[in-house]
Amino acid sequence: MLKNIILNIIAISLCNLAIAQSVSSDVKEESNIYEQIYDAPINVVGKGQVSFQELYNQKPLLLALVFTRCSGVCNPFLFQLKENLALKTNDKSFNVLVLSFDPRDNMTDMSLLAQRFELENNEQWFFGTTNSIEELNQSINFYPIWDSIKNQYDHDALLIGINNQGYITKKLIGVRQGHDLDLLIASVNNIFSPTYRLPNKNMLFSCFNYDPKTGENKLGLGLLFIALPAVLTVLLLILISYLVKRKEPKNKEIF
Amino acid sequence: MQQQPILVLFLALAGAATIVFIYVFVSSKKAAQTDQGMSNPLKKRFWFLLILFVILGIFTSVTIPKSPYYLFAGETPTKVVHVSARQFAFILSEKAIDPKNPSGENIELPANELVEFRVTSLDVNHGFAIYDDSNRLITQVQAMPGYVNRLQYKFKKPGKYDILCLEYCGMAHQVMKSTFIVK
Amino acid sequence: MESIKIKKITSVWIITVLLLFVASIVLGILMRLNQGEVISQSPITFYSNMTTHGLTMIGIWFVAGMAAVNYLMQRYVKTSYTANVFALVLTVVGVVLFWASTFVGKFHAAWTFLYPLPFKDMGSETWATILFLISLTVFGIGWLIWSVSLMAQILKKYSISQSFAWQHLTKNPTVETPPFILITMVTLVGVIACLITAVVLLVLFYAEYFSGGSFVNDALLMKNLTYFFGHTIANEMLYLGLAVIYELFAEVSGRPKWKTTWYVALAWNLSLVFILTAFFHHLYMDFVQPEGLQIVGQLASYLASLPAAGVTVFSIFIAVYRTKIKWSLTNLLFFMGIAGWVIGGLGAVIDSTISNNIVLHNTLWVPAHFHTYNAMGNVLFSLGFFYWFSTQFTAYFHNKKFTNSILALLLIGGTGFLLAFYVGGAESIPRRYSTYPAELSVGVNLATIGAVFATIYLIAILMFFFNITKRCLKILSSTS
Repeated sequence: MLKNIILNIIAISLCNLAIAQSVSSDVKEESNIYEQIYDAPINVVGKGQVSFQELYNQKPLLLALVFTRCSGVCNPFLFQLKENLALKTNDKSFNVLVLSFDPRDNMTDMSLLAQRFELENNEQWFFGTTNSIEELNQSINFYPIWDSIKNQYDHDALLIGINNQGYITKKLIGVRQGHDLDLLIASVNNIFSPTYRLPNKNMLFSCFNYDPKTGENKLGLGLLFIALPAVLTVLLLILISYLVKRKEPKNKEIF
Repeated sequence: MQQQPILVLFLALAGAATIVFIYVFVSSKKAAQTDQGMSNPLKKRFWFLLILFVILGIFTSVTIPKSPYYLFAGETPTKVVHVSARQFAFILSEKAIDPKNPSGENIELPANELVEFRVTSLDVNHGFAIYDDSNRLITQVQAMPGYVNRLQYKFKKPGKYDILCLEYCGMAHQVMKSTFIVK
Repeated sequence: MESIKIKKITSVWIITVLLLFVASIVLGILMRLNQGEVISQSPITFYSNMTTHGLTMIGIWFVAGMAAVNYLMQRYVKTSYTANVFALVLTVVGVVLFWASTFVGKFHAAWTFLYPLPFKDMGSETWATILFLISLTVFGIGWLIWSVSLMAQILKKYSISQSFAWQHLTKNPTVETPPFILITMVTLVGVIACLITAVVLLVLFYAEYFSGGSFVNDALLMKNLTYFFGHTIANEMLYLGLAVIYELFAEVSGRPKWKTTWYVALAWNLSLVFILTAFFHHLYMDFVQPEGLQIVGQLASYLASLPAAGVTVFSIFIAVYRTKIKWSLTNLLFFMGIAGWVIGGLGAVIDSTISNNIVLHNTLWVPAHFHTYNAMGNVLFSLGFFYWFSTQFTAYFHNKKFTNSILALLLIGGTGFLLAFYVGGAESIPRRYSTYPAELSVGVNLATIGAVFATIYLIAILMFFFNITKRCLKILSSTS
């Protein structure tokens, strides 16, 4: 009976495994942590030219690197970011800077991009360009490759956390879900999380999932396995007690 | 140098316990047939438990805030070292370590500044234990596959530090070693 | 007829345990000699011996406690002879399979076989890992059925609340639950919980093994399960020994039997809770574990000492202090064992403090404290029972010289052997190193000293072995 229960749980869990393992793995995420980002001058839509430092001194930044003519990941990336952040309406501890790495993009392109995502009036979001994109790219280890056949950049969707002293605290590569974003937001606010999970591992049986919003570990499915033996023992105790009491009158002679 | 006081504390407590046991044993050996044993045992038991409870309570409240998880809270490290442990070596690098093609370099760390080790494992569980130049264990964390543990430390003395594996990881566990310099 | 059968099977258990004990001590001494650079073994030999030593020791002292409890339980309820024999057969089969996996297959992932090491266990035969897992399964099935059977027999006579002595928490209890039944029940619950954990752990291991890599486990979960099982079984086997002491100490001392009171009932019920949560202290250095559980680990480890010290140790003091009692080897071993348990407990409480653990975790301090309450605690409880049992049915005369020399050798050997561990721990010498690097050469000398004293301890055990085995063989060959 016990083995059946466990095997059932495993069977159900295995079905979910494919979903759990879809997060991409990239060690580049670990590079440049706690290094200073290049202090590039930024042209911000509606604000004019400011230094990077002014922006991050004001509030920690989430920096998203895109280009407006992108037919690939940029649009879903920004859309996902907007959707995820929309769930965190109360969190005003950071701003978002959407910066173009394509020298062809001008302020009109960026303004149109902001309008397309209906973010032009959102105080938390900045859209801008810079003349020093190469220096900036170098300081964050980001190297988009121009593909002249497709007339597109081949690049990662990159989101960088920058704290209010201009240090890179965390990077996320790829379109990522709320939990990773929470870790990023925690990191720009200098909240220490003692551990984190590497992407692309089986997350299903994880006992605990760190929740950066509260700074606590949420209980995962794996914890069930730790609690299971104690619960089963109690059930077994009750079951045995019930069985022996029921049998007792019949067996009195024999025992 | 946390270990010496710990050993002294233990030996003192163990010595005291031994004396109590010997005392109780001798009192039985010497007891006359008419002796009635301990008087008021319930009351004595109550006081014994209460004192023990208070001592443990004090110990808890003093030691828990000193747990490694709460040290250096709110400080930003000046340097990050990535550590990937694998059978049977430590790979240390200031850059991220690619698990498919891991490579590291020699590490130099600043003294009296907060350093962060981001420790993980590429295969089995390992330990990441830092020994100072007098071969004393000063801090440690586990290296667990699939997780990154962040160990923070401020090195007070410049010098050579050794890293040893403190979680049994297979046949060459005892030779798994690396070093770094603190300047 | 029934009483002859139980006598005989208990004798077989005793002989088996002592034989395996002597063999495991020899392996332990070889390990210390290798660390002391007196002999030279290959690392694989060392680590597979270490694996054999660890699991055999845990196994035999668990079954020794179970066999003793099973024997004494006959005084209160009828127990199943079949379950007892079944457990014996599976234990022996398990040992054979397990030793084949380590001695022949060179399996060397240590008795904790921390995931995923058994799958990346270089240098051993390919079949060794699966044979090891099968041997654990065999042990698990045998012991689980035995424990469940004993629990069922208790529950036939006592209701759940009576078996946990809850009625003693009320003002005027009408039924008395003997302390032996209470402790056995509390211990069996813990034993069953940790054996079920072992089943879950093994299922997860098998799932990965047979899925051919498509199913991967979570290392943190596996570590939690490993220590739930490992820590708890190591702890519960000590409690089996305590059940024996509660039953026999007063009896062999010629004093009135101990009674269950409200504080005894409360203490043992609390112990059950603390024992099942204390294992978190094995994961202090895994920062990924939630801080809440780390603190639960420290609190449970601390609190576990309160009922233990306040009730069991204090009860022993009350029983002995200024009381004329009949001292024999049995109750002397019990008394000394309690002292060893307390001292080991002190070492354990120090190590279970998170801020100390960061400099003690996985150093020799760990084997230091658990060898204290095993080699100088639990083993003495069981040896006390063995001696008492074997002298019940055979011509016996009190030999003071034999008693004194055994105790002196145990004490000298044990103390020296353990001190070498404690000092090693304070000197930051890692545990589970086949040899020490040049800069930790102090570990080499300590290991040699440890080996010498362990040999003295072994001499005492050998004297015991011959004395008791001779008697047990007589019991086996007798017809009444």
